[in-house]
Amino acid sequence: MEQVLRKEARKLLEEEKVDYIVGFAPGSLKFSTTPLITKEKEEIASLVINPFIVNNLAKFLTEVRGRVGIVAKGCDSRSIVSLIQDNQVVKEDVVIIGVPCSGLIDIVKVENLVGKDRDEIDDIALQGEKVVVTAGGKKRELPTKEVFFEHCLGCEFPTPQEYDTLIGEPVAALGDKELSRKKIKELQDMTPEQRWAFWKEQFRRCIRCYACRQACPACFCERCFVEESQPQWVSSVPQWQDNLIFQVIRNIHVAGRCTDCGECERVCPQNIPLRSLSKKMSDLVEEMFHYKAGIDRSAPALMSAYEHAEAEDLIR
Amino acid sequence: MPITDTSQRKKFLAQSNVYLPHIVVVDKIIEETPSVRTLHFNFKDEKLRKEFTFESGQFAELSIFGIGEATFCISSSPTRNDHLECAINRVGLVTNAMHRLSVGAETGFRGPYGNSFPLELMRGKNLVFVGGGIGLAPLRSIIWNVLDNRDKYGNIDIIYGARSPADLCFKYDLDSWSQDKTVNMITTVDKGDENWIGREGFVPSILEQVAPSAKNAIAIVCGPPIMIRRTFPVLQKLGFTPEQMITTLEKRMKCGIGKCGRCNIGNLYVCRDGPVFTYAQIKNFISDEY
Amino acid sequence: MTTKKIRKKDIGKLLGIWSQEFSVIVPSKEEGVAKMDRWDGKDISFLDWYRNTVVPSKDNFLPPMEKMFSFQKNRDGYHIEVPQDEQKQLIFGIRPCDARGIAIIDKVFTDTYEDRYYLSKRKNTILIGLSCTNPYDSCFCISLGLKPTESADVDLMFTDMGDEFLIEETADKGEELLAAASVVKEATKADEAKAKTVKATASGMVMRRIDTKDVGEKLQARFSDKDYWEKVAAKCISCGVCTFLCPTCFCFDICDELVKKQGARYRGWDSCSFRLYTKMPMENPREEKWQRVRQKVCHKFEFYPMNYDVIACTGCGRCIRLCPVNWDITQILSRLPGSVTSQSHK
Repeated sequence: MEQVLRKEARKLLEEEKVDYIVGFAPGSLKFSTTPLITKEKEEIASLVINPFIVNNLAKFLTEVRGRVGIVAKGCDSRSIVSLIQDNQVVKEDVVIIGVPCSGLIDIVKVENLVGKDRDEIDDIALQGEKVVVTAGGKKRELPTKEVFFEHCLGCEFPTPQEYDTLIGEPVAALGDKELSRKKIKELQDMTPEQRWAFWKEQFRRCIRCYACRQACPACFCERCFVEESQPQWVSSVPQWQDNLIFQVIRNIHVAGRCTDCGECERVCPQNIPLRSLSKKMSDLVEEMFHYKAGIDRSAPALMSAYEHAEAEDLIR
Repeated sequence: MPITDTSQRKKFLAQSNVYLPHIVVVDKIIEETPSVRTLHFNFKDEKLRKEFTFESGQFAELSIFGIGEATFCISSSPTRNDHLECAINRVGLVTNAMHRLSVGAETGFRGPYGNSFPLELMRGKNLVFVGGGIGLAPLRSIIWNVLDNRDKYGNIDIIYGARSPADLCFKYDLDSWSQDKTVNMITTVDKGDENWIGREGFVPSILEQVAPSAKNAIAIVCGPPIMIRRTFPVLQKLGFTPEQMITTLEKRMKCGIGKCGRCNIGNLYVCRDGPVFTYAQIKNFISDEY
Repeated sequence: MTTKKIRKKDIGKLLGIWSQEFSVIVPSKEEGVAKMDRWDGKDISFLDWYRNTVVPSKDNFLPPMEKMFSFQKNRDGYHIEVPQDEQKQLIFGIRPCDARGIAIIDKVFTDTYEDRYYLSKRKNTILIGLSCTNPYDSCFCISLGLKPTESADVDLMFTDMGDEFLIEETADKGEELLAAASVVKEATKADEAKAKTVKATASGMVMRRIDTKDVGEKLQARFSDKDYWEKVAAKCISCGVCTFLCPTCFCFDICDELVKKQGARYRGWDSCSFRLYTKMPMENPREEKWQRVRQKVCHKFEFYPMNYDVIACTGCGRCIRLCPVNWDITQILSRLPGSVTSQSHK
């Protein structure tokens, strides 16, 4: 698959159909990858496809100037479509190299199950429905259900919906609605007081690094609401109340744009379960508006379209 | 030649906590232009009022409690020390709040911080002051300082411009300097109105026309970054060396004392090693600033 | 200075003795995130799992959020109140890289004007070091002149030899701290030799290297090269993770909070990676990402050494481990024209 990808990317550059290729290259840590944004044909040889290609590369579309050939997993391609719906990206400037994705391995889950950090693990190999982890000479088999990201377990669109080229064959969705909402179910089973206490404790730990916002392709505002001073919506120092409000409003702003790529939760250095909020928001959006983000390029973006005949029962 | 003057820095530290503002009271307000006002103020504490000194070029952090702090150069001259003056351009949260202050209001004052114009270096030399818009504020401190000791300096050229006649600041000073026979005062606007009879043109172009001699001269420039960027090459063309060109820079500041890390140009902090710099000091990092 | 030792299982007793005088802070975990927190009085299991914290110990001296003073508007004007000084603290288990980070930023907070908030905490805090016997593959402290097992910036240095820990006194205060503790014994020559082996092994595990020779000059030569910095900055997403979690980053913001007639002035962490960090009313000198990335790299490896004679980096590797896009400073520096290509861990 990697060879096909590299050939395709090289062709796009050589035929000058794009100015940049955006894809994944091996990272400098074990079991990691890193975004590759390049104009150089020589660097194409380092493009990879493996179970650690976590980043949502659509993020880079709103800042790279020029035409881009972009490697996109299922969730990423929906983010790209969502950006096109929001007029942030012009389709003619993007060549989508679709990569069907059967799920990505969450290295943190592996570390927790094996009791070793990633640099102490010798090998992680995906073999069908299991993952074989070799550490300290011992092999351990773990079912993918236990080491895949939660959002991968619930993924309904593993094959990109929108693409110009597809690398490999379409794959079946894992689509396990329950497994991907474990934390959400826990929260829903709490009383409102318990839930408030839970989030208060979580947001006490937030340091407002904005990694969640910066990693999210749906956060494309040139000036985020937290950066406004007239009026000041949110304090610039990390008091828990402001941290909580920041995340709540961020989720409202990305409603209808979030494709559950899971990056917000993955990048948070304080392990705050941010996806519980964004996944719940996407579920609400689906329930209320029967809408999933980034499926139909020609459809108007949910929150910026108004139909006179729309239901108004939400307005009370 | 370095401009830093460390003796000034610790001169006024009445409180052991350098982040605590002193209270000052506004006693006069002059509306210079639709967006610029000058505040005259004095320390609430008698002892501070008597003891406080500063040097031309230094700045202060003024606070509106509950809104925030912002950096302002002290635009009055230390030779006229009965009160302090700062010019406020209404551009953001704190400055808008400062435009709502009335006489008698109390605000916070931290300072004086930064280095100052090198008076010893300027003595006996011909001085060319080039200012744009509100950039005249720090310049007016040094201009009055020099004029109050007129015989120590050579020829004085002041070239000042603003976008339009309504945007000219310190009109009362421009009048005084025009009437001073020992000063060559040239005022210009980018675009005049129907009543304007003076020069029209951008400050760097007028400077090129006036063409002051670089011989035994020092040029002091202050204005918006784009004006400074265009003035340096003109001065170079007129024969000024990088050490003969002095500017006072403005960058976003918070602490004002070289700790919060924000206002650097290269390894120099505008609040601690500046705001007064020679072109020679900053030319290596100029692409980060402009 | 003599060397002492203590049995691993007695460390709790020693912490207990110290708890009578200090607020003892040890490594702990919250939601899977390792951090320094108040000791609960019992748990010393961190001695088994602890490698390094996510947030470095600078948060003790320069917290993410700190009240500078509160103010109240009365009839006769403003009444300002400064918070009380904090109680005495003892941080147990700080790694040499983090301890050095604090020593590096001390220079900023003592330069010309003393920063009372930072320095009063510093005066009230004792640092007890713990040798790194299991460095990460992202660690590169050795290139910055540090050793994972030695520190001049702590009062005592503990080294894990298995069932026992060697204790080295590195400062006068160290002797005082151990005086009252009967669980602390004299170390023998054999103990010292054993610890020496442990230390050599640990140092050998730090594989990543950077070439710091003339790095300031090399960066200066590249300063105006926009194409170079655009390539370097391409995959950065301008969040604040690397700067917030860096032991030597210290940039802060000051802001006011107000409710009716009273409020407070706070300071909190800020980052040169954020787009609005240098924004002024009419323009922003670092509007573009490559300018901000250049600032971050040059500040640490060129400007800070020009001002304070020390590189503002301790090789702790957090920026590499926790960066959302695995942007790697060691790769950037090894690809700097003129550098010796480093052997970076794959």
